[in-house]
Amino acid sequence: MNTQKVISGFFIILAMTINFGFFYGDPADLQYHSAYELFAAIVINLIATIMKLGDKTQLGSVLLATSLVADIQLIASATIWAITHYIGDGMNMESTVAVISLSGGALMANIISVLLFIGDTLKSKR
Amino acid sequence: MESNNTTIWIIIRRMRIPFLVIIVTFAISILGLTIIPGIDDNGNPYKMSFFDAFYFVSYMASTIGFGEAPYSFTYQQRLWVSVCIYLTVIGWFYGIGTIVALIQDKRLARELAISRFRKKIVSIDEPFIIVLGYNNITRDIIRRLSKMDMRVVVVDKNEEKIEELELENFIPEVPALAADASNPDVLKMAGIHKKKCEAVVSLFEDDSKNTKMALLCRLLNKHIKLVIKSTTESQSEHLNNLGINYVEDPFKFISKRFYLALTSPNLWILEMWIFGHILKMKEREKIPHGLYVLCGYGRMGQAIGDALEKAGIPYNYIDIKSSTYKKRKKSAIFGDAEDYEKLIDAGIEEAVGVIAATKDDLINLTIISTARKLNKNIYTIARENTLDDLGIFKTARVNRIYILERILADFSYTYIAEPLTYRFVRILHTQSEEWGERLVAKMQKVIGDNPIHYEITIDKEHAYALSKECRDKSIELRVLKRSREDWKKELKIIFLLAKEKDGTIHMLPEESMQIKEGLSLLVASDEDSREDLEYIINNYYELYYVMTGQEKKFSILERFSKK
Repeated sequence: MNTQKVISGFFIILAMTINFGFFYGDPADLQYHSAYELFAAIVINLIATIMKLGDKTQLGSVLLATSLVADIQLIASATIWAITHYIGDGMNMESTVAVISLSGGALMANIISVLLFIGDTLKSKR
Repeated sequence: MESNNTTIWIIIRRMRIPFLVIIVTFAISILGLTIIPGIDDNGNPYKMSFFDAFYFVSYMASTIGFGEAPYSFTYQQRLWVSVCIYLTVIGWFYGIGTIVALIQDKRLARELAISRFRKKIVSIDEPFIIVLGYNNITRDIIRRLSKMDMRVVVVDKNEEKIEELELENFIPEVPALAADASNPDVLKMAGIHKKKCEAVVSLFEDDSKNTKMALLCRLLNKHIKLVIKSTTESQSEHLNNLGINYVEDPFKFISKRFYLALTSPNLWILEMWIFGHILKMKEREKIPHGLYVLCGYGRMGQAIGDALEKAGIPYNYIDIKSSTYKKRKKSAIFGDAEDYEKLIDAGIEEAVGVIAATKDDLINLTIISTARKLNKNIYTIARENTLDDLGIFKTARVNRIYILERILADFSYTYIAEPLTYRFVRILHTQSEEWGERLVAKMQKVIGDNPIHYEITIDKEHAYALSKECRDKSIELRVLKRSREDWKKELKIIFLLAKEKDGTIHMLPEESMQIKEGLSLLVASDEDSREDLEYIINNYYELYYVMTGQEKKFSILERFSKK
């Protein structure tokens, strides 16, 4: 058992599952989507990104790229939320859907990341 | 490509944990603040939004501290904030501390230096020369090459030497790297495999290191010139077997030069003139013939002994080894009773000259002064080992000084930058004294005691007009000697050597020689004539005048008809 693998695997998968938790539900209704969940998704994604830093292999680079995509999408989602809430005229249908769909995009990136991670694990002989 | 990014990887690896610490502490603080209830200005309960909490934590952690926002905190909130302060500020400082440590990190600094060096090498788009090792000799070579606008790259193991070089402020810039040159990767970094790399100079103290470098460089690039120092016969032979036809043996140079000085002073003065001496023998340079006393019989002493023997001049030698001498007498001052006796035994009182050829400059100087005490009019010759001691030797009024480092620098520079001049020196050694006498007399008569010498190649870059004109017209060498003021007068110019495009060498070329494109010339002249010559070969009107004696008329019709 490789501790390093356990920790990074844990965070990569947790990033995806939490992201899914926020994304799941009616995309037009914010009541189904908790801000706490978005916050947790961002933090876990950032941690997962840092876990992937420093891996010089080809796979490591692709994993890092997917993670960065997820980070950017989630942070954009939170930013839209904050801007419409404080500067615009409050949350409306359009901004709500934008927030949720951005997190949906992040979820896609996270899924790819997990698939790559699993593939690499299966390929590994140790 | 991968090694280019090493710097980034070092930073990322080192920053992983600080980043993690910052993210986790921020997350905990923000989460806490959003959960703990507060009271707004009107006494209504509220909870901080994520944006409020993020904003507050950001300026709290970085110790900017704008105060409590958006409303004054309750005691519950303050309790949590006091925990957060210690948590985040420590995390933040840890991160900054790591960055500061990274900046001072030796490995990172080295990686940065390497990547800067690489970039500089890539950006060199003219021919360049790699110099291995930075010392008195190579500094001299680099200075002269820089004056000729040639690009040089330096590799030296010693970091201090590289710093020293950077302080010299050579123009054009000399990229330098502190690394072990015997590593092929380092040589590749220095650009040895590039087409633009013309030569490698390796003049290390250690012969075997030079051989190793020669072999390595030859393997990495077949086409470059190699300037390799070798001080023993077997080493030189070994290098020749490797296919390296230019080997620098300073002792051989000295032996040949001394032989020339003994047998044919005119050839000697020509060689010295090539290396910057004036074209006239000074009184104190005339070498007397008679018995010589040779002090020190190492590589240098033997080289001089060979020259004396070849010239048929008698000599006695005293074998003084500087290292054992210093160990035995515990001083580097030659001249106690025992030494006096030795000198007298060797016949110093009847001798016409004394040669101090040990490896130690102080011993050499004291040999000279002791010999002078015993024989007032003795002719003195000394070996000087490092250029740093030049001042002392000059004030000691030694008749002739052989500076090993200077000789090496002279030959290396000439070989690399002035190939025709180098050929000229080589051919000099095969000529007779009468030939030399005639040439020196001619040069003194035409140009004077202090001619300059330079090389000119007839090509588009250096001789614009001539290179075009000589394609379809036959132009003789004598045309170039005509003055552009009056074509019947002659400039103070002597052509010493001509090399045709196919490599044929003409020593002292005939005036009727046809000029062809690609011809290169070694010219001796004075400054004014050089200027005139350069005008003539580059300017159509000047060239036309010296060819025909008439002014060239500019006609548009002619232009068109040519096309």
